[in-house]
Amino acid sequence: MTLLVQTILLGLLIGGVYALFASGLTLVFGVMGIVNVAHPAFLVLAGLFTYELWSRLGIDPLLLTLVTTPVMFAVGWLVYKGLVARVRSSATSMSVVLTFGLAIALEGAMGMTWKNVFRSVTPVYFNQSFHVGALVLPKAQVFGCAASAVVLFLLYLLLTRTWMGRAIRSASENPEGAHLVGIDIGTVSAFTFAIGIATAGVGGSVMSILYPIFPASQYVWISRTLGIIVLGGMGSLPGAVLGALVLGVAETLTATYVSTQWSVVVFYVVILVVLLVKPEGLMGARMRKDVVA
Amino acid sequence: MTAEPAPAVAARRPLLTWRNALFALAGAALIAFPLLRPGDQYHQTVLILIFVLGVMATGWNVIAGFTGYVSLGQSAFLGLGAYTVGLLVHKVHVSPFLLAPLGGVVAAVMAVLLGSTIMRNRGHAYVIITIAFLFLMQAIGLNASGFTGGSDGITLPLPPWGLGVGNAPFYYALLALMLLSTLMTWWIRRTKFGMGLVAIREDEDKAAAIGVRTSVYKVLATVASGVLIGVAGGIYAYFLSFIDPRGMFDILVSVQIVLAALLGGLGTIWGPVLGAFLVVPMNEVTNGVAAAQGVHLFVFGLVLVAVVMFLPRGLIPTVRGWVEARRKSTVAFERRQSVPRVVELSAPRMRAGADPAPGPGGRPLLEVDGLVKRFGGLTAVDGCSFSVAEGSLTGLIGPNGSGKTTVFNLVSGMMRPNQGSVRLGGEAIEKLQPWDRAYRGLGRTFQSTRLFPKLTVMENVVAPLKRFEWALLPADAVSGREARRAMELLDFVGLADFGPQPAWQLSFGQKKLVELAQLLMLEPRLILLDEPAGGINPGLIERISDTIRALNKQGLTFVIVEHNMPMVLELCDAMLVMANGRVIAEGSPDAIQSDRKVLDAYLGEDWNAEAAAEGARP
Repeated sequence: MTLLVQTILLGLLIGGVYALFASGLTLVFGVMGIVNVAHPAFLVLAGLFTYELWSRLGIDPLLLTLVTTPVMFAVGWLVYKGLVARVRSSATSMSVVLTFGLAIALEGAMGMTWKNVFRSVTPVYFNQSFHVGALVLPKAQVFGCAASAVVLFLLYLLLTRTWMGRAIRSASENPEGAHLVGIDIGTVSAFTFAIGIATAGVGGSVMSILYPIFPASQYVWISRTLGIIVLGGMGSLPGAVLGALVLGVAETLTATYVSTQWSVVVFYVVILVVLLVKPEGLMGARMRKDVVA
Repeated sequence: MTAEPAPAVAARRPLLTWRNALFALAGAALIAFPLLRPGDQYHQTVLILIFVLGVMATGWNVIAGFTGYVSLGQSAFLGLGAYTVGLLVHKVHVSPFLLAPLGGVVAAVMAVLLGSTIMRNRGHAYVIITIAFLFLMQAIGLNASGFTGGSDGITLPLPPWGLGVGNAPFYYALLALMLLSTLMTWWIRRTKFGMGLVAIREDEDKAAAIGVRTSVYKVLATVASGVLIGVAGGIYAYFLSFIDPRGMFDILVSVQIVLAALLGGLGTIWGPVLGAFLVVPMNEVTNGVAAAQGVHLFVFGLVLVAVVMFLPRGLIPTVRGWVEARRKSTVAFERRQSVPRVVELSAPRMRAGADPAPGPGGRPLLEVDGLVKRFGGLTAVDGCSFSVAEGSLTGLIGPNGSGKTTVFNLVSGMMRPNQGSVRLGGEAIEKLQPWDRAYRGLGRTFQSTRLFPKLTVMENVVAPLKRFEWALLPADAVSGREARRAMELLDFVGLADFGPQPAWQLSFGQKKLVELAQLLMLEPRLILLDEPAGGINPGLIERISDTIRALNKQGLTFVIVEHNMPMVLELCDAMLVMANGRVIAEGSPDAIQSDRKVLDAYLGEDWNAEAAAEGARP
């Protein structure tokens, strides 16, 4: 019984962090209709960047998010303006191929810079835990989940309480209409994309404590984050949170009661089953343009 | 993305051209190579890799190039074929060459599963599904070690032939497979099936509305894209003599597939093969030079990004574009007649046995009852009921946002209602797919016209399908009979000279007329026109009215959404008025104009101003 509670609790903590990893992906898809396959590569990049700063300066990785986040925001802005914006007018399939190429190039660049070696950031608390009764809560996992909650709350405030947030939401629902009422779609898109990559800045720092990082680990994260946003409903931020929690628990349950090898398979199966049975996911509304009869 | 012109429409080319001579020469050189240089194992191996990539990129072209659904997991089919042969060869002791077709069968079966997941989804979902599929296959390969051998992989028997033969059997088998794959795409492109795929790529909703059964097409396209890759995988496994999950279900192979097809020219016949000839040597060079593996990935990713940015059409279409620009062979269509001729209108005969115009008061052809459609909190259509008499010209008017277009979408099947029924000729159709409604004689136009921009006017007009038949899929895209019929219809709308022109070059009004001709190809009983006079020059409005009237005399029923009041009141013999998602009044045009409810809801504000402006759009 304790094992079950422990497993579920751990799954929720992991899911909380997954929500952060997937949030930027679903935000960018919701506003621009682009599946940014390179998003996990940016997560890994921010993780290696955190590793670099931590190993040189010894600053706490969670504190380093104050550096990685603005840097990744700038990277996102440049990538949007330099690459994504230029192919947006062509078929959406081209922007997917573009981000795919970007993911591969990033992996290569990271391999050239950091070599294909596992890196982990190990602050003092990385192997400590909180003990609540018989339950064990790893400190790093709890801190990561807290960081995720803060970021998601800020994202929520940004989207609902600011002018830019309203502009983003209107652009996601009706770009032509938003343009008509004076919203500069180009700037809003660049801002959204940059915000999306900025979440990967926080996410990468958190990831560097919780997971060993190396360039090719992007593929595991491609599967996980895509599974999350498909289950939650593509483009829905609350959906991504829900999907992340469900899949975090499903993954730890599988790892505990079946085997760790099969736990990542949960994500592939979820993607295939959800898109076959309920394509709009748990919380996604089917948009007009999505409807195939 | 570019489409090759459907060959049936293009003029026949002479057999002996520079192009064909070049192909023959290249083919002869490839066939002769192992015979002339039997000891050159390195280059034979490179060519074998090129052939394998050529098969894969050509297959990918069917789903991504023709259909517009990008797959990032295409290499999974190679692994499926390889594992089928690798596992079977230890159980049934026959030559792997004989087992390779079974690899194709397994790939095809998995493609059906994969294709089924996109029956209700669009392109972005396919990207995700294919990635998940590839990783799932890899994970099964690694984890189900009792069955697949896990990460240790599988060793295949060595070929029984002597060393002198070398890799020649693999070489010829894979060369033949690459040519077969290219032949298949060429053949698909010239069939009805291929034209349906291109229609899906250009505008999937529109394709469904004109009778393309998109779900079946998408599944078949997935199968066509995977089956030969499965066969190639079987032969490739025999060639490698060792396979493992990481090498066989490798996303980096997918990168090469995408790059080869894009570089050569997406949607072209030979582009993917040309791309394979460029990508494999590039792979060899970067693999050889780079000590660290990162360089290899970096170069590939960068080249892929660069191709998308700077050469999105690929080499073949770009070069062809240069050549054509130099020849100035394109005719300047602007100089041709751009306003349709005003000729005596005799509409071409429609569906045999249609009663000539019974006029209003005939039996109801379309009955809509209690239709409700909600978008989240907004109820766009709220208990809408009306009926349309056979042979009538029924106008459907109402203020903006009253739900007219949504009703059209519900009737034509673009959307499903939350409640209510739609009956056509007494048969309930609200649960049918758009194409099934098209087969029953329902046609619609769109507010902003939706022709397939990259197809020619002629191809647009012959694209509709009156029924779904498996036997029809491999038929010629444009048969002689269809071409004649299309010409007749184009002539009827006054655009007979425009057949070979790409649809995107037409003016808005011309597009509306072509869209009408396209619908007539369906031989419909009922046509829903969404703002036929919207946004076109006033001179054409009269022409469009005449066209509609002439068709109505043949027995065709129309429902017309239109904001041009003088036109619709003059043209129609029955009117429906919508406000707030339901029909609030119906009757003759005269009766409507004096109906208090209508005046209150709608005409009260707009009609007076409009009458003063004499037919200007509100």
